[in-house]
Amino acid sequence: MEMDKPWIVAEAIQSALQAPFYHFILEGLLVIWILRLIFSKSYKIHQKETLTKKEKEELVGSWQPEPLVPPLEKTLAKTRPYRLVSGQVGKNIVVDGYKCKNFASMNFLGLVGNKRVEEKIEKCIRTYGVGTCGPRGFYGTFDVHLELEERIAKFIGAEEALIYSYGFATIASAIPAYAKRGDIIFVDEAVCFAIQKGLQASRSKIVYFKHNDMNDLEDKLIEQEKIDKKNPKKAAVIRKFMVVEGIYMNTGQICDLPKLVEFKFKYKVRLFVEESLSFGVLGDHGRGVTEHFNIPVSKLDLVVACMEYSLASVGGFCCGRHYVVGHQRLSGMGYVFSASLPSLLARAAIEGLNISEENPDIFAQLRQKAAFLQDLLKGIKGIELVGYPESPCFHLRRLHPVTPEKDLKFLHDVVNKCMKNGICITVASRLKEEFLSEWPASIRIAVSVEMSEEDLDEAARVIRHAVEEACNKCKGS
Amino acid sequence: MHTGTTNQVANPNTVVWNSPGIWITYLLTTGFMHLILLSMPWFTTSVSWTLTNVLHGVCMYFFLHTIKGTPFETSDQGKYRYSTHWEQIDSGTQFTAARKFFMTTPIVLYILASFYSMYDFTHFVVNTLVLLLSLLPKLPQLHGVRIFGINKY
Repeated sequence: MEMDKPWIVAEAIQSALQAPFYHFILEGLLVIWILRLIFSKSYKIHQKETLTKKEKEELVGSWQPEPLVPPLEKTLAKTRPYRLVSGQVGKNIVVDGYKCKNFASMNFLGLVGNKRVEEKIEKCIRTYGVGTCGPRGFYGTFDVHLELEERIAKFIGAEEALIYSYGFATIASAIPAYAKRGDIIFVDEAVCFAIQKGLQASRSKIVYFKHNDMNDLEDKLIEQEKIDKKNPKKAAVIRKFMVVEGIYMNTGQICDLPKLVEFKFKYKVRLFVEESLSFGVLGDHGRGVTEHFNIPVSKLDLVVACMEYSLASVGGFCCGRHYVVGHQRLSGMGYVFSASLPSLLARAAIEGLNISEENPDIFAQLRQKAAFLQDLLKGIKGIELVGYPESPCFHLRRLHPVTPEKDLKFLHDVVNKCMKNGICITVASRLKEEFLSEWPASIRIAVSVEMSEEDLDEAARVIRHAVEEACNKCKGS
Repeated sequence: MHTGTTNQVANPNTVVWNSPGIWITYLLTTGFMHLILLSMPWFTTSVSWTLTNVLHGVCMYFFLHTIKGTPFETSDQGKYRYSTHWEQIDSGTQFTAARKFFMTTPIVLYILASFYSMYDFTHFVVNTLVLLLSLLPKLPQLHGVRIFGINKY
């Protein structure tokens, strides 16, 4: 009703008193609602059940406090004492007083103790000091960091790289930076602990597929596709990822990258490859599993690697397109909230890259030596060798497993015997909670390019002897 | 949200309506909008009051019950990605002070608009519809409910 006359208070009050009856009822109800609001208590939706006093007393009475520190037996395993290493580690290592050849450290390119690297590091310490005292966003970015990022990006062939100061935190921060609640991650069962922590932190739905089984992965992808067809609106907002490793730390196998890239484009799943053990190992120039299979890095979404193995530095890197990697500069928890890599370690990594670029034949040599040692060890009775034939990091498992404890004891006996005879190998240590399926205990052997053929022959001989002795001991007991 | 070393919550949307001075700011903004409408000479008093009520209700419905998630990145791995702002307030706790405030303001505006429009029937219909639009989505029974799957993802 358009009214052109001016609004007068008296008129308004009069019409208020003559208001329609239903209106009074409605306003009365509304006022009652406001009063109810004022006197209602706040509650969380899932916590509406109230406990009676008796139930409360019962719950309080039955509570047993957990000890602040768990009993010592659980934290320090008496069957697995720590070995003490003295002096510098390199091709040779002094463990528990025994001088041994080092087949335990994953010093693939022999850069630990490299004189050239050490010289550069010394100069770096004199220029920058030791620590950086700050995260990358808060006065912790030095020119060595930027240089290392550029060099890594150029080496791998990606658009941009990002450096983390701790290898474990690299993949554990990269995954939750992209995958959130409601997203789906397809991941191999045998992935390392760092990836498992990253998956846990992401709060996404995790779908495990059998180790290196591309058919199982395809089945799971097809299943997800069927679910998506039923609910396309939901599917449009769910992000799907695949996380695999180039060479798996837990089994030494290589992933089937061409098939994975095919799945990526067929099922629209983003692909993250963790290349800690394949960077500086596979490929003609050591660029990793992408060069090995001749796949351009641009086909992968993210390449993550730890610089603590081949490059003999500390920390890790992520590389890929600028659009992808740049996101981690604000969302990668380990990047934003940890101090940046000490300059001397960044300089060591740069020098490692320099050495790699100058001698591109060390990679083929490394793989050849690894294959040689694997050949020698394959024939040992009582032991099964697991790993890609050219992988410098492979596993030895007991051929006929008995019980997990006895197998572990067997492997420890082998390791101890080898150590006493001058070859240092190690049992792959694992946390009980780490495993998704029951993986057998194994010895993990790492071959360095510094080892000569005689060293490899000696290692094979010592290991064979140790295994025979351990087998005889088992048969006898 | 990363705001340096300040006292932070994972999602500031959950606590913004408890910040000091924000209720007064909200009321003053609504009052200011009403004054602007009132100052337009082609609107009569009744129409401008009803228009205030309608604009307030529609804006409230849009900002509180339509748009979902956060405009900034949160550190809770996307917990509130599909939640409207109303569902995010106080992390879903019902009948907190902020929620009571938001349930009361449409009612107060409705009573005022009815009074100033002289209880005319057309104005009554419009105002009541807008009141329903403002109040019904705020009921705890409709927390997280998406009718016919509209606005679910």
